[in-house]
Amino acid sequence: MNKKKIVLAEDNSTLSLLLKFRLEKEGYELLMAQDGREALEVIEKETPDLILTDIMMPFVSGLEVISHIRLKLDLDTPIIVFSSAGQEEMVIKAFNLGANDFMGKPFSPNELIIRVKRLLS
Amino acid sequence: MATYQYLIDYFNESPLLIKLAWGVSSALSVAIVILTLYLKLIRATLRKRDAESAKFRKDYEATLIEYLYSGSENGTINDLQLTIIEKLKASVPIKSKRKIIISILYNLMNEVSGEMSDSIQTLYYKTGLYDYALARLKNKNWYIIAKGIGELTRFKIEEAHDLVEPFIMHPRHEVRKETQLYMVNMFRFKGLTFLDDLKAPLSEWAQVQLLETLQKFDDQQICDIKPWLKSKNETVVLFALKLAKIYNQFEVKDTLIELLSHPIKEVRVSVIEALTSLYGIEAKEMLKANFNELSLEEQISFFGLLEKLVVPSDEPFIEKHLFHKNFEIQLLALKILKSINLDKFMGLSKSPKSKGSKRIIKFVNNI
Repeated sequence: MNKKKIVLAEDNSTLSLLLKFRLEKEGYELLMAQDGREALEVIEKETPDLILTDIMMPFVSGLEVISHIRLKLDLDTPIIVFSSAGQEEMVIKAFNLGANDFMGKPFSPNELIIRVKRLLS
Repeated sequence: MATYQYLIDYFNESPLLIKLAWGVSSALSVAIVILTLYLKLIRATLRKRDAESAKFRKDYEATLIEYLYSGSENGTINDLQLTIIEKLKASVPIKSKRKIIISILYNLMNEVSGEMSDSIQTLYYKTGLYDYALARLKNKNWYIIAKGIGELTRFKIEEAHDLVEPFIMHPRHEVRKETQLYMVNMFRFKGLTFLDDLKAPLSEWAQVQLLETLQKFDDQQICDIKPWLKSKNETVVLFALKLAKIYNQFEVKDTLIELLSHPIKEVRVSVIEALTSLYGIEAKEMLKANFNELSLEEQISFFGLLEKLVVPSDEPFIEKHLFHKNFEIQLLALKILKSINLDKFMGLSKSPKSKGSKRIIKFVNNI
């Protein structure tokens, strides 16, 4: 059976590793990107089933990633955004651009799994 | 050989100034060569150290993830976790490695919640990092102490309360600020008890940080702020006034009215602002009666209060100040009049008294 592909765009390497471990354990294939630019390259190349992206990232922000996916690539891949405290306006912008869900940091990896499963079911 | 001899002769026969110039040039050339080599060595060392740090970071991250996911469901530490703790413990005494460990743990603690965050805190204790932070508190340098308190705050170590609390009276404001933030981060509103006998001023920046910290918590059950409103420290009073405003402390209204006669103008102005947001209608008549004795700033604040709490019976008072010499009061008075008696306001433009205020009336009319 083909594993579902998830792109994780996150600049915190420890968190990326933690989520990779957890999501791979759940049977997903994880494609990692350390910044928005790398995320766009991976998304264009691999056409994933789900995208997890942080809002604040170097080079290309999470908002730009969402905008590129929805407007340029015209993909309706589900997107979950990670936001920190004080980024409420950014979250609203992310939803306006086409994000499907958001998780405020700090978050529980178990809760993320539930949301991922819901969006991929 | 002949050329060499010629150069030596040339140097020996040269005037003293030329000899000196040659000497300095030679010394500088040698210095440049030595410094270039030294720079290369430093760069090579730094690159090596960076590579080692990156490798250690990568290894440590992997070990940390292994530790976090090998935990048992009942929360007890199993053998595998103990082995990992022992492995990590070995790196803690090395300062550079300790720094990396702390930064990784802190970065992750900020991003995850629940059991995982608790596991990170347990690891902080078990690897001995907690003891290093406590050792910092005993350092004679104030900046090391401040850093130690900051670290204990970030890792939410409540147990260090008794050791951190004495620094609330520290002569350096940086240490005091870190201690205050520790208290509030750990114990929320209960942590504000340091205000009871705070003698040193609480800076505006420190106040903003404390308020920001308090707003992070879900539990917004505030304690009694009356003692702080009566504090001899004016900055504590100003901070308590901010708390009264933000947390709608209607029960302190009487204390606020008493504070209208506080000797410090800044406090009196802030009291009027707090009463405005708490609908302190009781203070209105009092301030109206003493209006001429108030400072200009208080008068402006009072008009701000009137703008929010005006009733038709205030009209004569407003009318009296329609052409006040202060622009802000004039503007507020016109706005208030427009809100309570539009006909009278519209009639103002025809009044000969308002000749010099035509533009401001037009502006208020367009709002």
